[in-house]
Amino acid sequence: MTPFSTHAIRAGSDYLGLTQRPWRQPVQSNGALTDAWCHAQTLGPSIDAWRTWLEPRPKGRWLLFATDPATFTAALLALWESGQSALLPGDDRPATLERLSPLVVGRIPAAPTATPIATPTVAGTQDNTAATSRVALSSPDAGLPLEGEAVVLCTSGSTGQPSLVAKSFRQLDEELSRHASLWPLTGRAVISQVSHQHIYGLLTGILSPLCHNVPFCGNDSRYPEVMAQRASESSHIGLTNRLVTSPAQLSRLPQHLALEHQRITDVFSSGAPLALTDAMRCEQLLNAPVIEIYGSTETGGIAYRQQSRHDAWRPFPGIELDLDDSTLRLRSPFLPHPDQWWEQADRVERDGEGFRLLGRRDRLAKVGGKRISLTALEQRLCELQHVDDARCVDLDLRDGRLGVVVAMAGDALPQEHEPRRRLIASLREHLGAALEPSAMPRYWRFVEALPLNPQGKHDQAALRRFFDDLTDDRQPRWLGAQGQDSQWHLTLEVPERLRYLEGHFEGFPLVPGVVLVQWAIQHGREVFSDLGRFRGVDRLKFQKVVRPGQRLTLSLQRRADGIGFTYDSAQGRHASGRVRLEARDE
Amino acid sequence: MNQSDALALDLKHMIIDTLELEDVTPDDIDEQAPLFGDGLGLDSIDALELGLALQKRYGVTLDAEAEDTRRHFASLAALKALVEERRVD
Repeated sequence: MTPFSTHAIRAGSDYLGLTQRPWRQPVQSNGALTDAWCHAQTLGPSIDAWRTWLEPRPKGRWLLFATDPATFTAALLALWESGQSALLPGDDRPATLERLSPLVVGRIPAAPTATPIATPTVAGTQDNTAATSRVALSSPDAGLPLEGEAVVLCTSGSTGQPSLVAKSFRQLDEELSRHASLWPLTGRAVISQVSHQHIYGLLTGILSPLCHNVPFCGNDSRYPEVMAQRASESSHIGLTNRLVTSPAQLSRLPQHLALEHQRITDVFSSGAPLALTDAMRCEQLLNAPVIEIYGSTETGGIAYRQQSRHDAWRPFPGIELDLDDSTLRLRSPFLPHPDQWWEQADRVERDGEGFRLLGRRDRLAKVGGKRISLTALEQRLCELQHVDDARCVDLDLRDGRLGVVVAMAGDALPQEHEPRRRLIASLREHLGAALEPSAMPRYWRFVEALPLNPQGKHDQAALRRFFDDLTDDRQPRWLGAQGQDSQWHLTLEVPERLRYLEGHFEGFPLVPGVVLVQWAIQHGREVFSDLGRFRGVDRLKFQKVVRPGQRLTLSLQRRADGIGFTYDSAQGRHASGRVRLEARDE
Repeated sequence: MNQSDALALDLKHMIIDTLELEDVTPDDIDEQAPLFGDGLGLDSIDALELGLALQKRYGVTLDAEAEDTRRHFASLAALKALVEERRVD
């Protein structure tokens, strides 16, 4: 248990905009929280340390990635006070940082020490001045320029090229002041479970509590057990709590934490729509309203709702909507040009004064609340020599994970469990440099060519069918069918999680013969429409066992009295037989 | 199979089923290899799912020390030690 420190905090205060620099306002203190908490009034010395560090260095825009809210906030405020801005990458993978480095004068290190900055753009201007040397700081009283650039955020563009979105102090203040009037923070503490490198976490988890002079915490509080602990710490000194979180967190909130006693007064969720059942369950577990915010990096917040009351989204005050042709256009004070119309990529339908969301227009998916460009992911896979083509599939599964279909030359296709696993590992490794872990496809399918419909476009139904075994563990993985009239060849794969594998020979899972017969009948009925009732099986032969992960060709032949079938793999023939499927002649 | 091996196998099945790791079999999970990052490649959402599954299956609750949580989820061996120490079923 972290010992209580002497952080002085104030129970409540009124809202001040960023340009008035609320973190430099004197306040009275009436409580103490652990070191895990951050408060505007205790940040002063670290802001000054960062200003000293920045002073001899080039001026401009700095790359800032820090998971600890105190480090992040102190460095950000030091940049602002010294007339500079921050570019906030969504992650700190080498590929991300390298791509962004030409746009900044340097990268903010983990601490304001004298370590030289390893950024090519500042080579030659590196300054090894010891941080301990005192540099006269310019007066911290100067206000911040309303139209000046405060932060630049990164987002995934629909073309696959990440785009950068700059926000001025005016834009941030417009949004913060509306949050303040809708949901004042006086007397509260803010516990964040989302990243402050993105707009929602930045506004609600860091800037809003700063502007209200209330304590906030993040990072470790993404663990539900830590979040419960923080809530009890702030309750202990008489504060109530606001929880800033996401559907990924709320849908996995454990029941045993007795959170209903933790004085949580409101809960904010953003990043993706929350399922109604999760919203209801969490309102009960947390004993507080769950308010969802809909928006995007470009627009900031657009609308909000409390789904248990009303599932339509209601726009923020000051936002003007145009919902014709199921397109969402808006004019918003949070945009760089409040008088110009902005078009969102989401399709909508009008509902009273608000709207409902119908899905996206472009090829972006959301996993764990993060926007992922499917195009970029596919392009990256296609860079590999043995990958001919790739197509991501949004599967609408509860876990929100992506599936991907990869087309490869026939002799490169994995035929068994081990090679398949090694192939997936190598593809993951290739993507890993550029992709956040949650964006990594979880379900992989390998085929010779991506299925096309008669118009030459990707056949969505066939693409989705490759993943049908995920929702029915009795089925083989269907990977395509070729044939006509009386002869068909189907490509199947045995899922490692097939229900029938265990219990035959210990430690040696295999597909029982009766299951192979059942699959033959079932697929026969699909390709030959005129089969009758089951009458019997003849000439059954099981030559080789069929193991999990095995890729098979099921050949089906229409016979006068039913079907003939064979199962073959790269190893040879596994099974064959005939099934009589005709109505008996009376 | 001794008790410890049985628990390891049970945990492997729990991980595979909970996280829908379709291409992974129990044999593929090395007890000492990292579950997150480079090893099995699990992420922060998976950590939440595993926390829920541990509670449901073994009655194990995690505490508020985040460092502890990270340590317990480091490998299958670490997870096994956690369950052996705290299981209440």
